Amino acid sequence: MTAADLPRETLTVPHRPARARAPSRRPAAIVLIAAGVLGALVTGCRTGGADADAGAALGSTTTDVVVPAVHSGPQGDTAQFVVKCAFSHAGPDDPIVHPGHHGASHRHDFFGNTGTDSESTAASLVGGETSCTQRLDTAAYWAPSLIDHGEPVTPLGAIAYYRPAPGVDQTTLTPYPTGLKMVSGDPVAQEPQPVEIAGWACGTSSDVQSSPPVCPAAAPLRVRITFPDCWDGRNLDSADHRAHVTRSQQGTCPSSHPVLLPQLTLVVRYPISGDGHDLTLASGATITAHADFLNAWDEHELTDQVTMCLRRGLVCSVASNKAEDEPQDSPTSRAGS
Amino acid sequence: MQRWGTNNAGRIDRAGHAARLIVAVIAVTMVAAACSQTDNNQTATGTQNPGTTGVPAVAGPSGVTIRVPADQPTVQAAVTAAKSGDLILISAGVYKEGVNVETDNLTIRGVDRNKVILDGEFTRENGVRVLGANGVAIENMTARNFTGNGFFWTGVTGYRGSYLTTSRTGNYGVYAFDSTKGQFDHDFASGSPDAGFYIGECYPCDAVITDSVAEHNGLGYSGTNSGGNLLLVNNTFRFNRAGVVPNSGSYELCYPERETTIVGNTVYSNNQGDTPAIDVALLAMGNGILVAGGRDNTIERNLVFDHERTGIGLVPYPETDAVDNIPPEDAMKKPCADTKKAPKVDPKTVKNPVYWPPKNNRVVGNVVRKSGLADLGVGVLGDMTVPNLNNCFSDNTATTTSPTDLQAMSPCDGKGNGADPTVGALDLVALMASPRPGKGDYKTQPEPGDQPNMPDAAGAPARPATDVPMKIDVAAIKVPAQPAGT
Repeated sequence: MTAADLPRETLTVPHRPARARAPSRRPAAIVLIAAGVLGALVTGCRTGGADADAGAALGSTTTDVVVPAVHSGPQGDTAQFVVKCAFSHAGPDDPIVHPGHHGASHRHDFFGNTGTDSESTAASLVGGETSCTQRLDTAAYWAPSLIDHGEPVTPLGAIAYYRPAPGVDQTTLTPYPTGLKMVSGDPVAQEPQPVEIAGWACGTSSDVQSSPPVCPAAAPLRVRITFPDCWDGRNLDSADHRAHVTRSQQGTCPSSHPVLLPQLTLVVRYPISGDGHDLTLASGATITAHADFLNAWDEHELTDQVTMCLRRGLVCSVASNKAEDEPQDSPTSRAGS
Repeated sequence: MQRWGTNNAGRIDRAGHAARLIVAVIAVTMVAAACSQTDNNQTATGTQNPGTTGVPAVAGPSGVTIRVPADQPTVQAAVTAAKSGDLILISAGVYKEGVNVETDNLTIRGVDRNKVILDGEFTRENGVRVLGANGVAIENMTARNFTGNGFFWTGVTGYRGSYLTTSRTGNYGVYAFDSTKGQFDHDFASGSPDAGFYIGECYPCDAVITDSVAEHNGLGYSGTNSGGNLLLVNNTFRFNRAGVVPNSGSYELCYPERETTIVGNTVYSNNQGDTPAIDVALLAMGNGILVAGGRDNTIERNLVFDHERTGIGLVPYPETDAVDNIPPEDAMKKPCADTKKAPKVDPKTVKNPVYWPPKNNRVVGNVVRKSGLADLGVGVLGDMTVPNLNNCFSDNTATTTSPTDLQAMSPCDGKGNGADPTVGALDLVALMASPRPGKGDYKTQPEPGDQPNMPDAAGAPARPATDVPMKIDVAAIKVPAQPAGT
């Protein structure tokens, strides 16, 4: 039995209900209707313009948040390909939420394409340099910087897992269109998010929690963000940067978003273990974990990976539970962050 | 095995050029009688791989040879054009491509192992990747400078890699995952941070690695959660960080590693501090044969020498972030295929840390010398003790053991002498914590020199991997002679 086989319930709730947002291990499907009210919330809870992420956009439309069925346990029973990326750089940029506005975002850590900044588009990224071992993955991945006692933590690296979501018909998977933009996780969360979307764990443990656990040195802290896997088939982005994609439910994409995509889970690894840390994110508390993806893969390579590996149910790469031999790109910080 | 014959009439050109096609059609018509068996064969079997289930539908070669670049300009083009049972024969040259194979029963062969080179230019991921295509054999060529693997089979039944050379690959050299019925022979793998040779996630694997060499890798051989009629025999593992490291872990399916037979290998000088390395290779450095949390393995008649730590060591593999607990004893014979169907584990029930114990391993008749800590060693963690792990040691030529007098304490026949297993014990905690040389860059590891070619590469018929693994008379294998110059 997979997570997709577990019983589900759908809750239609107004505006961020604490109970519904609690980090339950039950894969409940939650729909948040946040129009208008959410905008007010965003305005009320933000502390500065430069800290704004998806908030303004989130406030403007109805946003569906569906808790996904996600993979847990050992690799190898599900088709996948995995990309391991070194930390590339950090900066107050967000080419999805604040395109063209350098400094308008909170600080992000970037992985993948080494040229990502606020001006980045798929056209500017494709064919660029990458911090990933898979050199044809020139997509951009980013997440808010982890802060420890007020200082940014330099990540150890990131791992992007591409898999069919539990329960879907993998033979119908479609590669991401070039230029697709996705944001997952709630950068203005006031309550714990569903851990199936955004959560913290020690090493490869499947025990994902809404707040960072205290980790042993051999299995340091990771944050894990799972992206939507259903696309409307038309729009590479949307006003709130979310409405054009959603998550499969019980193995099926809704008719509004009929195109089944791989389920991307981005894991960011940090050199954090033991006690004595005071952790926050650049976006706020650690419950505001989120990540962004701008697809700028080499189109042919991505298509090969999806059609040859995922559609055929094959494991084309795995991530070790130990540190990998990642690219030696040295961390750099851009834009004075 | 020339089922259909490989002669000029049988070499049907399926090149993409229209002119060639026309010629080919005419040729087929003219020699219809001669080729009827071939055509029937292809029609009957279909040519598209049906997926990852089932065994190869056709056992023999088709008699068709596609030459690169004469018939197809690239290896990938030839593979794409090929049908089940075809032989793809590659002329000398540097091919800057990575090849994906989705068709069953191909034989992909270079005419000269040292001059047919797939070059990833540190951009492409795999030299040749066989995706769910059963019975694919790759022979007599080199893959270098790939960010992932040199030669890689995943999700197949039937695979063979013969007379292959890999160097400077970012993950593995010669690699099979989630695959059964395989054979790696006469291969040479160097310059990988993980392992030169890897067979993982299979039980029973029904596979053999023989007459092959691994050097300048993080690990010469690694096999996570593999075993069951898995033979490593008559190979050489040298100048790696660690030599032969079967291992268990819950991060991939089909744990634990078990029932690997390691016999007649020459394992020496695996202390190489300038290799690329994943963290496990850093930890394992300086050991010849190191079973990390594996069980029921047979380690016999190997020649093992010149290691900073142990010649043959049996140690637990600790996981502090395990995703499952150790399966019960009555699950040790559970086929890997059944494991995939098992219910998901509730993460809250996993009791970290998990120490995978090295249990029931049989270490007999090896010649082991010049080991820094112990020629033969068993390490324990947690509540393990050397006796209760039930490993046995007999008839080994060894000077030092840890614990002291290990062979008398844990013989394979009869009862142990009851000696105190803490005397002379390995201090694993201290060893794991001790600093090790940093990682080298896989891109700058030594290039291998020329390696022996397969016999009659240009003329031998196709031989898809439908007759593997080869039969090995393990009992007849003797301890190897000391290599010249060592």
